[in-house]
Amino acid sequence: MSALPDIDALPALPPKRIDWLFRIGLSIVITVTVLAVIGPYIGPYDPTLTTVRVAQPPPSLLELPGLLQGWFAGTLEYPPHFMGTDVSGYDIFSRVIAAPRTDLVIALTANVLSLGIGVFLGLIAGYFRNFATELLMRVSDVMQSFPVFISAMVLVTLAGRSTSNIIIALAFVYIPIYIRLTRAEVLSQKSRGFVEAARAMGNTEIAIALRHVLPNSLTPALIQSSVTIGFAILLTAGLSFVGAGVRPPTPEWGLMISTGANTIILGEWWPSVFPGIAISLTVFGFAVLGNALERRYEDG
Amino acid sequence: MLLKYVLRRLSIGLVQLLGLSIAVFFLIRLLPADPVSRLVGMNASKEAYAQAQMQLGLDRPVLTQLSIYLGFQPDVAPGLLQGSLGVSWVTGSQVTAEIAAYLPVTLELVTLSFLFAFAVAVPVGMLSALRPGGRADKGVFLYSLFAGSQPEFWWGLLFVYVFFFQLGIAPAPLGLLSPMTTPPPHITGFILIDTLLAGQPAKFVEAAHHLMLPVLNLTFVLSGPIIKMVRQNMLRALQSDFVLYANSIGLPRKVVARYALRAAMAPSMTLIGILYGFMLSGAVLVETVFSLGGIGQYSVRSVLAFDYPAIQGVVLVITAISLIVYLLLDLIHAAIDPRIAY
Repeated sequence: MSALPDIDALPALPPKRIDWLFRIGLSIVITVTVLAVIGPYIGPYDPTLTTVRVAQPPPSLLELPGLLQGWFAGTLEYPPHFMGTDVSGYDIFSRVIAAPRTDLVIALTANVLSLGIGVFLGLIAGYFRNFATELLMRVSDVMQSFPVFISAMVLVTLAGRSTSNIIIALAFVYIPIYIRLTRAEVLSQKSRGFVEAARAMGNTEIAIALRHVLPNSLTPALIQSSVTIGFAILLTAGLSFVGAGVRPPTPEWGLMISTGANTIILGEWWPSVFPGIAISLTVFGFAVLGNALERRYEDG
Repeated sequence: MLLKYVLRRLSIGLVQLLGLSIAVFFLIRLLPADPVSRLVGMNASKEAYAQAQMQLGLDRPVLTQLSIYLGFQPDVAPGLLQGSLGVSWVTGSQVTAEIAAYLPVTLELVTLSFLFAFAVAVPVGMLSALRPGGRADKGVFLYSLFAGSQPEFWWGLLFVYVFFFQLGIAPAPLGLLSPMTTPPPHITGFILIDTLLAGQPAKFVEAAHHLMLPVLNLTFVLSGPIIKMVRQNMLRALQSDFVLYANSIGLPRKVVARYALRAAMAPSMTLIGILYGFMLSGAVLVETVFSLGGIGQYSVRSVLAFDYPAIQGVVLVITAISLIVYLLLDLIHAAIDPRIAY
């Protein structure tokens, strides 16, 4: 895939289009990405180890300054549980900021996999139209008619609930979208003048497809990426929520929400509310980013 | 003409379903799972394992299993051709009967949520399309982007916390009726209809009360994409020549808006179909939060128990319903838009 252009190759965004919403979305995405790298190390507790304090509510906002002061001064018995602890005694704050390592890595890797495979197959299906590529499209149709959630659940559960299997399952679910998007774009690109020019220059068909058509057909797939990453995070969390995702004690937002789901009707809101806010903001951030890219693409 | 089109679509759909059944059949057998040891336990003796394997029919060659599943060997067991999806490995009852019991709950939940989402989205989307770029439009845009990217199960839990625990105006998230109530006789499987048919208005109210939060929950997440779609299609319709013409001959604004709405709704049907199909399995999380016992929860149960016949059945039935919904919506599309003929 050496022909993948870097993101700078896209036309520059006119400054007036960068509104406050786009900035918020971008900050969310950057924050989550940074947390995916350093999150597991910066929390006050090890995200995978329990403490002896079980189901402790978070401190109120009034207590917070005192707690922070005491924490920095080293006078506290134990580091504060900013978001409380859950029924097993895990520190929720440490887990919330450690979870991007799980959620974002799964979503990003699954997206890169499905993008790579889907774009490649879409290019072939759009550029070379023959029996084999027709068959490919029919197979892709059947794949796309699978109910998304159930297929992901089946793949993960039957293959074994591990991070890599979740990645493969999500990639499998999202490949047909990329095939379809890229194929449509390739079909509209390949009758353009530059293709004919490249052919007149004596390029082979494969060279034209890879070096000329592919870079010009990538934009829809790249825009879709932002949306796919967001949905992949939702799907990962959803799988954990029904017990078909990562295994405890992996810090993962959906798993944390599911832990808290049993006690929320008894009034213990904090174990599910905080990880939920994290997912809500993250996916919204990716949606905003995707929308901004889409608008930029439509404006040309 | 129409009949011919419908028949052609149905036959294409049948071929697609056949392809899907075979694909699912091989897919779940290719994955490195051992349903036999799942059923008899890891410490079972070799004899017990072999016996279970024989009972499930997993000792037969894969192609024989496939032909039994498809119904080419009705002397062994009825298959798809005989209208049977096989017997559940966990409960021992017919998969078709189980699906018939679970499916109406989901259909009712999803359909109600779509109706409400539509009722909200059409006026809101129209309003924001009338003044694109205005304040209302920006607000609506922000809302639809937000609602369309939310973890619905988390919102479900929040609703439970606020409306059940804090305010006490919603029932506990424990199903469609309170555990003490005897359910109405099973007629259609749709609880709101069954309670009315049985002449039990009190239970109707109770079921509606229990459906309130899950429907609100799904309506919220569905309204996002639907508003966005109505707005875009409405904008496109308002900029078209026929609206310019209608305005220039002095038709009242209301009439013009109605024309534009009609033109805007037609292309929306495709997306509605895709969303509906997606929701049939996507509703599983909301069903889980509220313990509604729908087809999504049935599929979770079957997948976690490695119940192959049930998994195959659920995937097949959900896809079949999606295909039928696509067809129906395409027909509605044609009915709204006179330019489309089959």
